[in-house]
Amino acid sequence: MTLIIENLPLFLIGLRATLILAAITLAASTIIGVTLGVLATLPSRAIRLLVALYVETLRDIPLIVTIFTIFFGAPFAGVPLEPLPAVAIGLSLWGGANGAEIVRGGIQSVPAGQAEAATALGLYRWQVYLKVLLPQALRAVLPAYTGLLALIVQSTSLGALVGVTEFLKAGGLVIERSTVMQGINPSFQIYGFVLLVYFAICSTLSFASRRLNRRLSAGAQGRAISVPDASRL
Amino acid sequence: MEFDLDYLMRQIPALRAGLALTVQASALAILISIAIGLVGASVRTLRLPGLAHLFVAYVELIRNTPLLVQLFFIFFGLPAVGLTLSLFWSGVLALSLWAGAFQTENIRGGLAAVSPGLSEAARAVGLTRAQYLRLIGLPLAVRTGLPAMLNTCVSLIKNSAYLSAIGVQELTGVAFDRIASDFRAFEMLAVLLVGYLSVVLSLSFAVRGIEYRLQAPFRR
Repeated sequence: MTLIIENLPLFLIGLRATLILAAITLAASTIIGVTLGVLATLPSRAIRLLVALYVETLRDIPLIVTIFTIFFGAPFAGVPLEPLPAVAIGLSLWGGANGAEIVRGGIQSVPAGQAEAATALGLYRWQVYLKVLLPQALRAVLPAYTGLLALIVQSTSLGALVGVTEFLKAGGLVIERSTVMQGINPSFQIYGFVLLVYFAICSTLSFASRRLNRRLSAGAQGRAISVPDASRL
Repeated sequence: MEFDLDYLMRQIPALRAGLALTVQASALAILISIAIGLVGASVRTLRLPGLAHLFVAYVELIRNTPLLVQLFFIFFGLPAVGLTLSLFWSGVLALSLWAGAFQTENIRGGLAAVSPGLSEAARAVGLTRAQYLRLIGLPLAVRTGLPAMLNTCVSLIKNSAYLSAIGVQELTGVAFDRIASDFRAFEMLAVLLVGYLSVVLSLSFAVRGIEYRLQAPFRR
């Protein structure tokens, strides 16, 4: 316990990096997710197929392989990347694929009559999406999106493998430091502590997701969107 | 730099060894995780005092923490308190515990879907709760929950790539080792892409096929 308090500054640096990484990933995933999610509901079969190809590929390859590919592959492509941007890109590509599935589900959960009525009133297609479908989809996707955020926070720990000093890496540094300087091995306590902090953050998000789901499904119409589970990681 | 097929051919023995390790670790972890799931779902359905709460805590802990941290805790943390496992078995244990939590939920979901009339009938003919679970509840629950269980297995195989993080030389570990030592990326990345995609996609298709077959008696 004293070890944790002594090293609090380092843990806080790590936690800050974890939260920043999660925030960047959430923002970028949202941009990719909304774009691809909308494309996936367009009538063009070719576009839908391309989106499905992207989504399936990113979701079926282990996330660790995606991140390694970007970090170690970037120099080969002539653009060496720092660890943090490399991880942010990898996580965002993956988060965007999951986001796209959620947004697509959200748009499809809006009753078809809404889009038909908007078209009949003479709205352009972009207006139908921007003013009718997306605002209504937003409500439906909130629980699933909160669940996705919990998964993103968990996945940021992969940054530790390519040298981002996020929360897990900070724990590793604390262990290294006390092994070298004090000759003790606090791996059990420190990784236990790291586990509990992630648990505190992610279970809060999962709880919020479940509550939102219950509240929304009380008055919801159409079908529910499944909340992404950690088993999708 | 272009794709060098000769280079790739020379790496095949190493890759095959990596793939074998991936398959071994996944297969063991799948078996153990299903065993955990069967026990967990039974314990929670029987509402065994204490034990049922323990399983709730276990499932929540696993679902809400990163697999990588679980793996580090098992591989680096447990030896510090005297519980030393080999590299391979640390990995198998981490994967099993991770997937076991999801299998518990999958099978519990299946049990919840079993018609309550069956458990009442079982009690009426004098079966104990444990006998009901073993003879009627669990077999039906596994049938109902099979698609979800297989999806968890697919995720487990995919996530066996995490074992490279502690140095297990499975497929991902071998591939990135080669990239680092030979300074060639495309060949190995292509192998990983094709390898994981083909395993995961073919299993996903199999799951869909099984789902369709299991639905057969209920289709009109």
